[in-house]
Amino acid sequence: MLVKIVEGGKEFSLPGKAGLAVILVVLLAAILAPYISIHPHNISSGPPLVPPGGGHPLGTDELGIDLWAQLCYGARVSLLVGFGTALLAALGGGLIGIVSGYLGGWPDKVFMRLIDIMIVLPDLPVMIVLAAFFGPSLLNIIFVLALFSWVFPARIVRSQILMVKERSYIKSAETYGAGVWYLLGKHFLPEVFPLVAVNMIRLSGRAIVAEAGLSFLGLGDPTSKSWGLIIHHATNFKGIYYTDFWKWWLLYPWLALIIMVISLALISRELERMVDPRLGR
Amino acid sequence: MEYLFTIWVLVTLNFFLPRAMPGDPFLYLSADEGQEVARFSEEQRQYYLEYYGLDRPVAGQYLSYLADLLRGDLGYSLYYNEPVSAIILRRLPWTTFLVMAAVLLSTVSGTILGSLSAWYREKLLDKLLFFHLILLSEVPAFLLGLVLLFTFAAGLGLFPLSGAITHFASYSSWWEKLLDILHHAFLPVMALTIARLGGMYLLSRNSMTTVLEKDYLRTAWAKGLPQKRIIFRHALRNALLPIVTRVFLSLGSLVGGAILVENVFAYPGLGHLMREAVMVHDYPLVQGIFLVVTICVLLANFLADLVYRKLDPRIGDYSGIRGG
Repeated sequence: MLVKIVEGGKEFSLPGKAGLAVILVVLLAAILAPYISIHPHNISSGPPLVPPGGGHPLGTDELGIDLWAQLCYGARVSLLVGFGTALLAALGGGLIGIVSGYLGGWPDKVFMRLIDIMIVLPDLPVMIVLAAFFGPSLLNIIFVLALFSWVFPARIVRSQILMVKERSYIKSAETYGAGVWYLLGKHFLPEVFPLVAVNMIRLSGRAIVAEAGLSFLGLGDPTSKSWGLIIHHATNFKGIYYTDFWKWWLLYPWLALIIMVISLALISRELERMVDPRLGR
Repeated sequence: MEYLFTIWVLVTLNFFLPRAMPGDPFLYLSADEGQEVARFSEEQRQYYLEYYGLDRPVAGQYLSYLADLLRGDLGYSLYYNEPVSAIILRRLPWTTFLVMAAVLLSTVSGTILGSLSAWYREKLLDKLLFFHLILLSEVPAFLLGLVLLFTFAAGLGLFPLSGAITHFASYSSWWEKLLDILHHAFLPVMALTIARLGGMYLLSRNSMTTVLEKDYLRTAWAKGLPQKRIIFRHALRNALLPIVTRVFLSLGSLVGGAILVENVFAYPGLGHLMREAVMVHDYPLVQGIFLVVTICVLLANFLADLVYRKLDPRIGDYSGIRGG
């Protein structure tokens, strides 16, 4: 089924292909950041607030730091937060889903209640409080985001396990004496993995948006210059409303974020439709 | 029951957070503005420990904290020099106003667009709406807010840049004041509404499509009922059920969006206050806002459960409720 996803890239509709292309470009920009950014991303390399063109392709910010370099390095932060959160949430949520679905009984009840609560709980206030108390390092942010994301893979895995558990081939495997671990590795995980993998893309989109929001509030990791943090600095600049600086300082990180998030959404929508037609809304 | 338990967990979390924080209260008390660190003598230390009740066992502190909470005492703001509850009460109406307006507008317009789309399924209108609203549904509210702010407020000058009412303005009548408030709230509400529109649209389109295929609708057509009656009495009423659930389920993320949007527009609600409080390290205030916001959302969901039970007598199976 995993092979089907990879091959499915060819069957993508036009928006799906566009999304895939964008993510690849962002990935490349993040990996090659030191080579494609002409200027340093952390120290000033020219006069402040230069419009795009000349030596600075996207202009500079109030400290004279090249924006293009900042965007390239910011892509690293966004991708790290996105995929880090998704991975953590998928692992944790997957585990809980398996336990809950396979064992049933009281662990299942406890986890289901917990999930119901986590879904209604507003995540941003909790994130702000935790960031305020424990310091806004990237690791903390990923951890908190994962804390609010595991619910989705957990539900998917649980319902899938519940469904697969009743299939006759699992029943017959059990009568032949297959242990829990054997069933997990041989039957459950292959069935569950594609759905979780697809959900991870959606989760990383959410995480990237959430990180951008926290950074926009000034609660992101101040040492890692993410796209949200650039927006934070730009909007907190005193004269931003009355000058033309927003035309590059604010516009480019904004565009980068929007394009990235929409691309991720397009890809996940495409994959969801492919893996499970019933999941597509 | 479940909600009470959650609230208890939140309250307890709120109690232990500052105690789990690295550092020592005396570090914060003694360092003024990060300038100089004054040293406390052992006597002064003892005095303050006693004054703040920190010399008592944790269990005792916890109990008195709970008692304070029950009396509505959220502590004392270090920065504003006022009881936290008073500050919050002053700011809460603005946030509530934003959120309610956005919920109302997005739900109504989303339902209308979704129903239109379902009615003209696979036609041009449906395809156009679907494509654009799907893209729109992925854009977070605060990024939308920035666009609105820079085009309509900063660029065209049609709306104020920040705040909720014009300062020092005197109004000749109450409706002039109302107009001013609406004028200030328009862009933030729009940002929140547009950001939610996509989700509501997709849900109602889905829900309406399923209902339109039901047997009782075919019966209604066969009876020769007028189209209006079929759409509003038969189809829409049934399609609304999952929408109602979703409105409340997504309240949490909407509040998160409102916190960010308030900061975009410097709107004087709880979100803006929370950020200010974090920036000046006013921990009692941060915690107070956190508690009030989360408990409000939980209460709203609790009410929704009750309402939903009334609306749908078949309640018991969870099939209609989907998060996401």
